[in-house]
Amino acid sequence: MLDAIAMTDRTAFGIGALVYLAAFVIGCVLLILKKPYPRALMFALLTGGFLIQTLGLNLRGADIKACPLGNIFEIAQFIAWSLVLLYFIIGPVFRLRLLGLFTAGLSTLLAGGSMLVPAWDRPYPAGIFGGNPWIELHAALAIFSYGVFAIVALVSAMFLIQQHGLKKKQFGGVYQYLPSIQQLDLIAKRLMITGVTVLTAALIFGAVFWVNNPDLVPLFKLGVTCFIWIGYLIVVVLRLQKKLVTKRHAIAAIVLFVLAIASLWPVQSARGLDEVPKNSPIPAKSSK
Amino acid sequence: MSDALQSLFVLGSSHHQAPLEVRERFALGHEEANSLQQKLFALPNIRECLIVNTCNRLEIYGLATSPEIETAIRDLLCAEHHISRQLFDQHSFWHTNLDALQHALEVSTGLDSQMVGETDILGQMKSAYANAKDAGCTSTVLNRLFEKSFQAAKAARSQTAITRGQVSIGNVAVDLASRIFGKLSNSRVLLLGSGDVAEKTAQSLKSRGVADITVSSRTFENAHKLAHELGGAAIEFSDYEQQLARFDIIICSTAAPQPILTKANLAPALKSRPERPCFLIDLAMPRDISPEAEELDNVYLYNLDDLSAIANENIEQRRAEIDKARDILKRHAWTLWLQLRRRELQARKSPPA
Repeated sequence: MLDAIAMTDRTAFGIGALVYLAAFVIGCVLLILKKPYPRALMFALLTGGFLIQTLGLNLRGADIKACPLGNIFEIAQFIAWSLVLLYFIIGPVFRLRLLGLFTAGLSTLLAGGSMLVPAWDRPYPAGIFGGNPWIELHAALAIFSYGVFAIVALVSAMFLIQQHGLKKKQFGGVYQYLPSIQQLDLIAKRLMITGVTVLTAALIFGAVFWVNNPDLVPLFKLGVTCFIWIGYLIVVVLRLQKKLVTKRHAIAAIVLFVLAIASLWPVQSARGLDEVPKNSPIPAKSSK
Repeated sequence: MSDALQSLFVLGSSHHQAPLEVRERFALGHEEANSLQQKLFALPNIRECLIVNTCNRLEIYGLATSPEIETAIRDLLCAEHHISRQLFDQHSFWHTNLDALQHALEVSTGLDSQMVGETDILGQMKSAYANAKDAGCTSTVLNRLFEKSFQAAKAARSQTAITRGQVSIGNVAVDLASRIFGKLSNSRVLLLGSGDVAEKTAQSLKSRGVADITVSSRTFENAHKLAHELGGAAIEFSDYEQQLARFDIIICSTAAPQPILTKANLAPALKSRPERPCFLIDLAMPRDISPEAEELDNVYLYNLDDLSAIANENIEQRRAEIDKARDILKRHAWTLWLQLRRRELQARKSPPA
């Protein structure tokens, strides 16, 4: 059925990123003009962008016959997709004002930004996960947890903006649309626990594979992933002990997310070097 | 004989001239203000005098037989209340005659208030006038001035829309509390002191869902009465410090000369509730909460100036109505000035036998 669609996966990703950008720009302009925040329009645009991005991921997945998580470009697309998916769950449940705008901004950055660097979408051998569904589940869960951490970073940024406004006695403007700091703090805490749980599950599935095939997992990738996981775990433990709360928790969430995203490039580079032999008999994937 | 109306004056300091930290140094207690009024009235060149003493202004209205009275009044005020003369001169104003009349009318109408258009000031002016009149410190000129200023205030309010769109301290406090806590139904409020503005703020919070209100005042009876009105509980003033950790919103309006909440006594209370923010509203003058308290994480401190600045954010939209009200008051002031001059002239033509 996907073959009947006259669109490449990159075109779909591009349109998706443009729709996210449109949502972000419209939201910002209306806020600057002090017009009412267009919650329904924001939701509709994000839904449109999400559906087109889902199509792009499906086209790419059909092409490589696996979950498209083989290079930095695909991972960035998947994180943006997870982020928007989480917005659809969290936004209506907690009724967090402006979360749509922030989600659109970060999704544009991830989905659109990754398209601007063609080298990030480098070809890789088909069947990169060796047909092992557990490894695919490991990769999908790990990247989904990054989506959770992305939304934690967004909620934390919203917390810091609202807190700054309250401390500096700022009223009106963006501050009046942001949710309360207590609500943002509570949601950031719950999402952080969720993210660490998902990442832990991903690492457990990955560990099972690693124990059986220690030579196939680059130590650098393992080290960086464990470093990120330990970082988040420490934050959660300190938060539960009420030693890292509110502002410091928000800063930690943002710093860790930036580190997690920044670690993708060296991890992918290391994996590429280790896993794709120069004379690999497996044909490299190509964009549809 | 000098022209008495040449010496109608008002000496004062308000939020226009003095920042909060200076105003709190000029603030007088009720008894201090009464005592100063009597001492001023006893000055040889003063025929009438009246003191308006609110949280945002200290103003001395008077009628003198000599225009040189200004120095004597400034000296007396500063000496009696240990205020630096230089500081007072720097942050005060002196109006005479028609300007003094116009000022009194604008104050009564709320045009000179920190929250432009507020109505509380009229009650405070009426109370100051009644107090001075009872003490025998006012006579023909100030009686007429104040009675006419109340009429002019009423006229300006009814003929313009200066109060439309006006935001109260209570509404601002509720909006800020919502930005901090979201739903207010689980927030616990402590009122320290039982001032009018604090009571109104607590009522605004109650109307937005706050269910747990506790009142503490130096006079337990006052606290109990206010707690009963608000549907809350009263605690002894000596106990509030031990119970600070229980409260999310603390509204202070005591007459304490020094801060009663400081970084030092708030820090231990906040340590036991690190995840819950604390909203401090300081409506007292002098301030009840030390400004350093704001340095604490999770503490949001707002004083009268902060709340008023927020409440006045829509002032530009009301500017036309304010100008209209000012024009009405100018006409009233001019008419009153002519009446007072005419009376003075008549009194000169027919001196008492």
